[in-house]
Amino acid sequence: MPLNKETIEAEIKAKIVEIAAQTGDDASELAVDDIIPATGLIDSTGLLELIAWYEKTYEIPLAQEEINVDNLGSLTRMAEFVLRKKGML
Amino acid sequence: MATPIHVPRINNNDDEVKILAFDVAIGAKVMAEQIIGQVETDKAVLDVTAPVNGYVLGFVGQPEEVVKVGSVMLWLGETAEEAIPEITTDAVGKTGSHASLITAKARIMLAQHGLQVGQIPAIDGRITVEAVERYLSQHGLAGTKIGANVAVAGIPTESLPEISGSPVDLTREEKGMAATVAWHRDFAVPGYIEIDYDLAFWAEYAKRFQEEKGLLMPPLLPLMASRLVEIAREVPRLNATFVGNKRYEYDSVNLGFTIQAGESLYLAVVRNAQELDQLGFVNSLGDVLRRATGHNLRESEASGATIGFSSMERWKVTRHIPILPPHTALMVAHAAGQGGRGVLGASYDHRVLNGGQVVAALKKLAQPKKD
Repeated sequence: MPLNKETIEAEIKAKIVEIAAQTGDDASELAVDDIIPATGLIDSTGLLELIAWYEKTYEIPLAQEEINVDNLGSLTRMAEFVLRKKGML
Repeated sequence: MATPIHVPRINNNDDEVKILAFDVAIGAKVMAEQIIGQVETDKAVLDVTAPVNGYVLGFVGQPEEVVKVGSVMLWLGETAEEAIPEITTDAVGKTGSHASLITAKARIMLAQHGLQVGQIPAIDGRITVEAVERYLSQHGLAGTKIGANVAVAGIPTESLPEISGSPVDLTREEKGMAATVAWHRDFAVPGYIEIDYDLAFWAEYAKRFQEEKGLLMPPLLPLMASRLVEIAREVPRLNATFVGNKRYEYDSVNLGFTIQAGESLYLAVVRNAQELDQLGFVNSLGDVLRRATGHNLRESEASGATIGFSSMERWKVTRHIPILPPHTALMVAHAAGQGGRGVLGASYDHRVLNGGQVVAALKKLAQPKKD
């Protein structure tokens, strides 16, 4: 399936819902522009799992300095970052 | 007297390694520090060096053979004609004049390290765990993680339960945990202390730090761990262990941080943490934790902790008593708070630290350092 912003956002959201469920939280209402760490839906361990999955799924190894709110703070930003890294945006 | 060369430990999670090759032949003269062969795990290859000058008397293991860490892989002699000692359980204390002078645990350790009773200087006329531990330390063998070997050695002596069941091989991580628990059981004299503290100071500090630096990850726990590094630098006995009846204070602070990744529990290590500023530490810890989450920890990041930090806040646990990682004296236990108050506890090795010293450290840790 070709990468596009909406597909990526949906995939990432599905992963977040899965991770949040581990600690009994429901992330199904997460909006594309919500700042993920500010929602409290997933904790730091969950965020680590999300980032590890994100790197592997989209094959974009991240430098530590790239892991910030500007690049990865919301579903939209995470999706756009994938496309930017792949030269598709 | 013949000198054994033991199978080295490559990382904390592997109790067995494969012999890749020997670079020397029987009868060859070797010099101290000369590379005599290589061993490997699926993660790394390590050169094995001779501890002393000598002649190769014989090989115990063979290339491609999987052998236990700490067992003998090669014997060196003072002359090429020297006989290889026979290493059997009997030879290390079950029979003979030494039988009544050696403790059971010391006997197990000798067997695992391929040592003989006669090699170990007695303490007050007895060969004890402490005597063996001192010998291993003096001969550079302490890093072979004695606890792991004791754990392995302990397995055959246990009888199977009467209720039917099936033995299941442990994963590498489970073996690592078993080794850690065995060290805690066999060597540390563990105590546990906790204090409560006001959550607001750290929460506000971490929130401000996160906003200022634009961090994605909440930095609360990394910042607390960074503070622990500072405290350990100020109070060296916190960053120490107990070997040969002495407190052994480490030169560097290697902070071990527990991280659950799926079914695996890792102790991810930031080495030389005392050299990092706050942001540098937060980033370095984030890096190793991310690799642990992806099951890609590097060799140096999976072992060598000198002090530890563990949190079970994620699971809303309000108290947990951590096991001390091998050769550490302090493991901080961070737990979930209630009603604005948090709990900070610590497991500690009473041979190195007393309760008052641990409480003092925890009180310092309860608040960020004032700028």
